[in-house]
Amino acid sequence: MEHFLQELWIARWALAQGLLLTVEISAAAILCGSLIGLLAGIGLTYGKWLLRLPIRALVDCIRGIPVLVLILASFYLLTFAGINLTAVQSGLFALSIFCGAHMGEIIRGALQSIPATQIDAGRAIGLTFPRILVYVLLPQAMRQIMPVWVNTGAELVKASTLLSVIGTGELLLRTQEIVGRNFMTLEFYALCGFLYFLINSVIERLGKFASRRFALQ
Amino acid sequence: MGYTFQFGVIEANFDHFLYGLALGLALAFAAILVGTFIGLLCAFATMAKAPLPSRLVGIYVSAIRNTPLLVIILFVYFALPQAGIRLGKLESFVFSLAIYAGAYLTEVFRAGLAGVPRGVIDAGRAIGLTGFQLALYVISPIMWRNCLPALGTTFISLFKDTSLAAVIAIPELTYQARKLNTETFRVAEAWATASVLYLATCLLIAAGLRQLERRFPKF
Amino acid sequence: MTLLAIRGLTKNFGPVEILKGVDLEVNKGEVVSIIGASGSGKTTLLRCVNLLEDFNGGEIILDGVAIGYTGEGHARRRLGERELARQRAMTGMVFQSFNLFPHLTALGNVMLGLTKVRHMAKREAQQLAMSWLARVGLDDRAAHLPGQLSGGQQQRVAIARALAMDPKLVLLDEITSALDPELVGEVLNTIKLLAKEGTTMLIVTHEMRFARDVAHRTIFMDGGLIAEQGPSAGLFRNPKNARLKEFLKRANM
Repeated sequence: MEHFLQELWIARWALAQGLLLTVEISAAAILCGSLIGLLAGIGLTYGKWLLRLPIRALVDCIRGIPVLVLILASFYLLTFAGINLTAVQSGLFALSIFCGAHMGEIIRGALQSIPATQIDAGRAIGLTFPRILVYVLLPQAMRQIMPVWVNTGAELVKASTLLSVIGTGELLLRTQEIVGRNFMTLEFYALCGFLYFLINSVIERLGKFASRRFALQ
Repeated sequence: MGYTFQFGVIEANFDHFLYGLALGLALAFAAILVGTFIGLLCAFATMAKAPLPSRLVGIYVSAIRNTPLLVIILFVYFALPQAGIRLGKLESFVFSLAIYAGAYLTEVFRAGLAGVPRGVIDAGRAIGLTGFQLALYVISPIMWRNCLPALGTTFISLFKDTSLAAVIAIPELTYQARKLNTETFRVAEAWATASVLYLATCLLIAAGLRQLERRFPKF
Repeated sequence: MTLLAIRGLTKNFGPVEILKGVDLEVNKGEVVSIIGASGSGKTTLLRCVNLLEDFNGGEIILDGVAIGYTGEGHARRRLGERELARQRAMTGMVFQSFNLFPHLTALGNVMLGLTKVRHMAKREAQQLAMSWLARVGLDDRAAHLPGQLSGGQQQRVAIARALAMDPKLVLLDEITSALDPELVGEVLNTIKLLAKEGTTMLIVTHEMRFARDVAHRTIFMDGGLIAEQGPSAGLFRNPKNARLKEFLKRANM
């Protein structure tokens, strides 16, 4: 036990950096992904078929491919195409499109479940569609998907571990580096797992709070 | 610079890809089998009158669902040997994926059980079925039908998760793609093939699931 | 002969007293109807008789045997699940919402108890089940799933299911309340036939005319107790209890 605490102290900065990067990448990915997802969801719900078909195809393709493949493919393809991104950047790219496809489906579902009479009501008071979208439809959709959105955040934190495979210095990679030095595999992997559990538990708690706070009923 | 897509490369190595695909499906299947066993056990445990089983199951589900799968895989394969539990690559991966699946399947089965109408259980008791008979002849068939869609999507998820086996050098589909990539630098071919194979398999499983649901209509 | 004797039955749901001391006797071949307002404890009484609910005090004696519990006073214990299941098979129950097993055909619904509880051979069970379905007029629907049957048909299958078990006593809990009006008749006719054949029945119902015409005796429950009981015709014509008078007036009887 003492030995573990000693090693933990030595490794504190590495772990802290890894933890920070994990949180940063996850947060950035969910923000970018949500933006992409928003556009995709709106396109899928209200777009003409010319717009809907390619988005549908893209979303289904991305969702049918494992995240790891997305990450590796992005990493190798981008490098090969001459776009030199760091491991962090290409990881962020992959996670964002993964999140985007996921969120696109969710937002589509939420928007489709809003009765069409809401659009009529908006038109009746003279709003144009873009305004109806922003002031009537999206607020309702957002409230509905709040818990799922938070859950997606937790999923992204878990997916960020896959970035270790392309050398991104997030928490898991840092843990592996530490273990490579001191061979305390059991202790440090357990600690790593526990830290992720903590992060996700916090996210879960935040989610419950947000759901209650923003619930429609 | 010009990059010409060489289908020949794909053709030459296609059997490797198929092997990887088959291995991935086999791993997913093994994991869902064991995971179903765990999930059923836990789901029925939560129906017990005593509070302890439910609490234990709750801890298990919460712990696993909040932990990244990759961490579980690495822990089981690299860390457990230090505690004396040494598993082979395939066994350790299936074990990891199974306990991961079990946590999600517990919730699936609990929802399925909750969807069995109370009145139907009363009717079963009224004709004199014992608890065990009820579970076997009345509750289970209804529960399985309720769970069918979620079981299908869980299997598809697990199949995609088998890609993580590549990280501990199990030669499934993702590993094959990466191998081809690093050996021949045919980046586009390698990843396109893997992607198409994953996508096609997922679509086929989903279509099969829809057929199954049509064959056994929901009551 | 007395088939069912209920003495001092009490039942609480937590702090709420639902049954406050019910005394009732039912003779073999008798049809007894139970009427009363919602919440008077009618359904709870029925569910205690077939042991779907436990009860806090009093006893229920079916064909000379005290069911549900063993021991007396402090030593009183609820019986084990196996024994309870065995005793439940001695009564049959038909529910308001039919509660057919949705994954089994009409035939399958009737056969389940025969094969698993009465331990009959499959062929024997099938014959018996088919004969019961024929008696309720549904032998041509034997292969249909509940989802393919109308409400009235489902309820008649439920009646066949209960009776195929050859119970000593049949409990019917508002079996027409969930039916569309035009389907009520077919179910009531089935019950009339059974009454004529001498089936002992305890019927909770809102169908006042049916209670008056088919039941030998009617019981009015109010606030967890039996407020008045007597031969049906007399009770409906000359109710003595004040609340019963009001109840009948509101029901246009």
